[in-house]
Amino acid sequence: MKQARHGNRRLTVVGAAVAMALATAAEMTATAQEEPAEPVRVEFRRDIRPLLSDKCFRCHGPDGERESELRLDQEASAKAVSDGEAAIVPSDPERSVLIRRIVSDDPDERMPPPDSGSELSPAEIALVRRWIAEGASWSEHWAFAPLLEGLVPQEPSSWASGPIDRFVKEKRTMAGLEPSPVADRQTLIRRLAFDLTGLPPSSQDVEQFIGDAQPEAWERLVGRYLDSPAFGDRWGRVWLDLARYTDTTAEWLEHTGQAWLYRDWVIAACNEDLPYDRFVRLQLAADAMPDAEIADLPALGFLGLSPTYWKELRLAPDLVQRIVADEWDERIDAVSRTFLGLTVSCARCHDHKFDPITSEDYYALAGVFASSQLSNRLLLPAEEAARVKQARGEMRQLEEQLKKLGKDDPEGRQPIEQQIAGLRESTPHFDALSAHVIEDSSIYVSANGPDLTKLEYREGEARDLPMFVRGNPANPGPVVERHFLAALSPDEPRRLQHGSGRRDFADALFDEARNLTARVIVNRIWEQHFGAGLVRTPSDLGSQGDPPSHPELLDFLAGELIRHNWSLKWLHRQIVLSATYQQSSRSRKPCEAIDPKNRLLWRMNRRRLEIEMLRDAMLSAAGNLDRQRGGAAFDLGDDSQHRRTVYGQVARRDVNQVLRLYDFPEPTSHSPHRVHTTTPLQQLYLLNAPFVQQQADSLAAQLAPLTTTEDRIHRAYRRLFSREPDGPEIAVGLEFLSSGSAEASVLADYVHALLGLNEFLYVD
Amino acid sequence: MGSVALANTLAAQMPSAGAPSIAASRFHAPPKAKRVIQLFMNGGPFQCDLFDPKPQIAKYEGDRPEAVDLRTERKTAGLRASPFRFQPRGESGVPVSELLPQLGGCIDDICVLRSVHTENPNHGPALLLMNNGTILPTRPSMGAWLSYGLGTENESLPSFVVLCPGRPVRFSILWTSAFLPAEHQGTYINHSHPEPDKLIPFLRNKTHSMEQQQRQLELMSRLNRRHREQRGGDQQLDARIRSMETAFRMQFAATEAFDLNRESKSVREAYGEGHFSNGCLLARRLVERGVRFVQVYYGNGQPWDTHHTHDDRCRKLCLDADRPMAALLTDLKRRGLLEDTLVIWGGEFGRTPTTDTSEGGKGGRDHNHYGFTMWLAGGGVRGGMTYGETDDFGFKAVENPVPLPDLHATILHQLGLNHERLTYRYAGRDFRLTDVSGRVLNDIIA
Repeated sequence: MKQARHGNRRLTVVGAAVAMALATAAEMTATAQEEPAEPVRVEFRRDIRPLLSDKCFRCHGPDGERESELRLDQEASAKAVSDGEAAIVPSDPERSVLIRRIVSDDPDERMPPPDSGSELSPAEIALVRRWIAEGASWSEHWAFAPLLEGLVPQEPSSWASGPIDRFVKEKRTMAGLEPSPVADRQTLIRRLAFDLTGLPPSSQDVEQFIGDAQPEAWERLVGRYLDSPAFGDRWGRVWLDLARYTDTTAEWLEHTGQAWLYRDWVIAACNEDLPYDRFVRLQLAADAMPDAEIADLPALGFLGLSPTYWKELRLAPDLVQRIVADEWDERIDAVSRTFLGLTVSCARCHDHKFDPITSEDYYALAGVFASSQLSNRLLLPAEEAARVKQARGEMRQLEEQLKKLGKDDPEGRQPIEQQIAGLRESTPHFDALSAHVIEDSSIYVSANGPDLTKLEYREGEARDLPMFVRGNPANPGPVVERHFLAALSPDEPRRLQHGSGRRDFADALFDEARNLTARVIVNRIWEQHFGAGLVRTPSDLGSQGDPPSHPELLDFLAGELIRHNWSLKWLHRQIVLSATYQQSSRSRKPCEAIDPKNRLLWRMNRRRLEIEMLRDAMLSAAGNLDRQRGGAAFDLGDDSQHRRTVYGQVARRDVNQVLRLYDFPEPTSHSPHRVHTTTPLQQLYLLNAPFVQQQADSLAAQLAPLTTTEDRIHRAYRRLFSREPDGPEIAVGLEFLSSGSAEASVLADYVHALLGLNEFLYVD
Repeated sequence: MGSVALANTLAAQMPSAGAPSIAASRFHAPPKAKRVIQLFMNGGPFQCDLFDPKPQIAKYEGDRPEAVDLRTERKTAGLRASPFRFQPRGESGVPVSELLPQLGGCIDDICVLRSVHTENPNHGPALLLMNNGTILPTRPSMGAWLSYGLGTENESLPSFVVLCPGRPVRFSILWTSAFLPAEHQGTYINHSHPEPDKLIPFLRNKTHSMEQQQRQLELMSRLNRRHREQRGGDQQLDARIRSMETAFRMQFAATEAFDLNRESKSVREAYGEGHFSNGCLLARRLVERGVRFVQVYYGNGQPWDTHHTHDDRCRKLCLDADRPMAALLTDLKRRGLLEDTLVIWGGEFGRTPTTDTSEGGKGGRDHNHYGFTMWLAGGGVRGGMTYGETDDFGFKAVENPVPLPDLHATILHQLGLNHERLTYRYAGRDFRLTDVSGRVLNDIIA
């Protein structure tokens, strides 16, 4: 089995110059790259554990080949003193037997044995020596540790009142940074409107907010946007990126399901502020929850719309088995990164080199997905569903008969057509919708005669999988009982034993793993509000990920989220009410010099609109936005369609070209966050797309009847930028509009150019 | 940017002339090739018809010796002879089939790899393995890796262009940027449209004159500068301003690059007529203008997939493909471009020397991933040689086998990139095109 080599962090420690030399165009333009910070000190999990795992664990690790008592995967054993010696003596590399053995010239003494082919390089030896000299800390990685709580700075402060601001102020002050002033009201309302609803604020909203001098005006505005149905349109899409949502499934699957039911369920859940724990449980196991309703079944689309890979049954069983295992791997990857911020998929071929995730954990989870199959389910109670299924089956047969008769036999057709009509009438809910779901059913791959392969499904049965040695299904090892990740379990890991085990897994997320689960979702929501997370690798909180800029703040919010019954709207409110959020985005040179990436939040980050917001903003400014919500997806290639972009069709294998141009993530796998690029092809869209021109024409037509050119400029600025133009802007506008030929076309050209401005695309 | 600067740029006929390479500092080693053209025979041609003569097939026709009792996608029966004759060509005397008389004339520039093999005899997975280095549809394509690693030499054109008169199987996943930034994805162009402005999305404005657009651009430029100054500067705002100016220029640069009517009559005649001819000629025009990687799919769907009436179809395909391939190599050489342009030819796999029985045994051949031929030319690769061998029946690579990661590593190497160091951190680990293997084929490097 081929599997990518894990990132070798040791190289960056011993040769940062190499990494620098590899800087690429990509890194220069990508603003949200998953980039870990440069290591300051040697860290066990990142730098040392992988080394020991690679070179020593075969004999001194968890597996069977041990010839010695020494266990280098266990701190106690590694530091145990016996006969006055210890393999590792913290802070004293020279007295550590480990060092003596790895540098020894005596072939009998030398470790790893010279014939093992896994000798350490001089750089690696230096690294181990440094780690021991620094104290040989085996410390637990922050994301697995209990929440740091009770640390809210108590110092009273005029700048900041809430706990978020106090945490931020503390770090910022230590770095010698001053906060930015509060942004002006026009900026604030535009920021908040895009952030909470994905749309620009209406002119009335702006007028009202600017005219409302009361201190509670901001809070009122926040409340109104949180309650707006547009909130779900914006935040639902954030979730759909993680869930690799698609409206179209592979051509080899039955097309009976309506994918949009999942999209609409997610949007409604955001609007209703469904508690996050229930939101997640329903997506993993609505079919196994006694208190779930039929209307909750579309939640299973998270897994029910998973990518599927073509399984050619003319190929040999081991090739097909590998493709089936690739599908399990995709599910493990999506689930573990989305909910836990962990890259469990790294443990497919061997134990995770950096995080405490074993190959056994991997196959314990793979068993859950080997016991769950994609399916379609009518959104009806079981009995009615059975009746509809039967009636549809009968109808299919009747239609076959019609086909055989052909069109030239009206007499033969008539009774059959009547039967069909009768079936429809007599079967209640004949046209009921069905959702893409997942159901308990296990899959087996086996030979079908000498030349073919078959897939066998056992409904309602679960299976435990053997570990595949080096990820190779043709090389099965011992069978592993399905269980939750051991590293996140205080005791024996929870067994995933009810049905496929999906529900047990969901329970574990909100029980033994809840601190991590909470950290992950808090960080994701923070990232959306600020344009950068407290942890900049939102789907990797493991030791290879970025450490949090404000660990105490992250943990505080995670703890509070749990205490507030996992209410995400509570979290949104805390964040946008903070003074930190309301700062100006304007940069200041002295602060830039200290903290160029603004990790310490001395200002707001300026953000580019995502494609959904850009398209919706154009429609909105032109007065063309169709606010019809939900239902089947519309074709984004059809310029006459003016619904919000989130309702446009996402085709997994053929993503709409405008979405592609603007960094829409490939829905073939989980996307941690969008990487924003700036390319000329994006600008061609704004310069030349008929859709953009239509919006400009539309707005121009509404400006034309106004009395003076200056009025037109004012109205255009209000509609596009939610503010009044200043003197020079009016002058530039007058100059443009007074030259050129036909009045109407010049006005449209003017509006069109304003749509292409940075001020339209970026939010301060 | 004012109107004067724009006018100057527009006056420049060759857009690559003024665009310095911004990539030079990123090479791991001095590059021998600067650009790549891949001629993709989608469907999978049969190696023993074209570059790998195996007289033993005819000798044992109808038999199924143990050596060919290999499982492929479909069921195959006994050996089936190739009716096509070979002749030693060029000074090197490398044998080339009578089906490719013109390409045979270029053989001294071609390195024939006879022992390539892959992991899966099914089109989709094999296409992914060839393009993305893995069966999983979640990894970047080779073109995206090259764009990421080397950047572009012409900011007015995309760095990675995919030409296909229609759609290859699996479609856009074959040129995906996956987790790499989206700017590195291939720009797919269905070049069966003859008009240049249909090839790149939104390339031309249907209603505005250039003067009208220029006025708009100046307005944007003034207001954007002011906006930027009021905010104390911001790199992302600057980048967008530049990008808008590039887009404006690109309208003309790309239109020019894709316009085959600008070629002389003699050049058009040399390449011949048809989609593949146009694809080859477009590829030359694009690499000449600084596009890093151009992939030309032979045709819609999988035209080389000859499960029945193989010989007839193969004859027709070669009749169509021979001339433009030879014209491309000759043309590149004449312009001094062949020495630093790597040309790659091949399918996603080869075909079986045995008869495909799946469609009633109508003279077809099944997919063969055990051993097949690809060739490389130019870009610092030795010409007039063969590398590796298949068994007596041309089924399986037996001598110097070339797994795909070796091919990928070698392509990257010629471009000055070390395949082990061209990595991208994603989902907790460093990914690379060659995954955990790959070995540069030093024997074929000039």
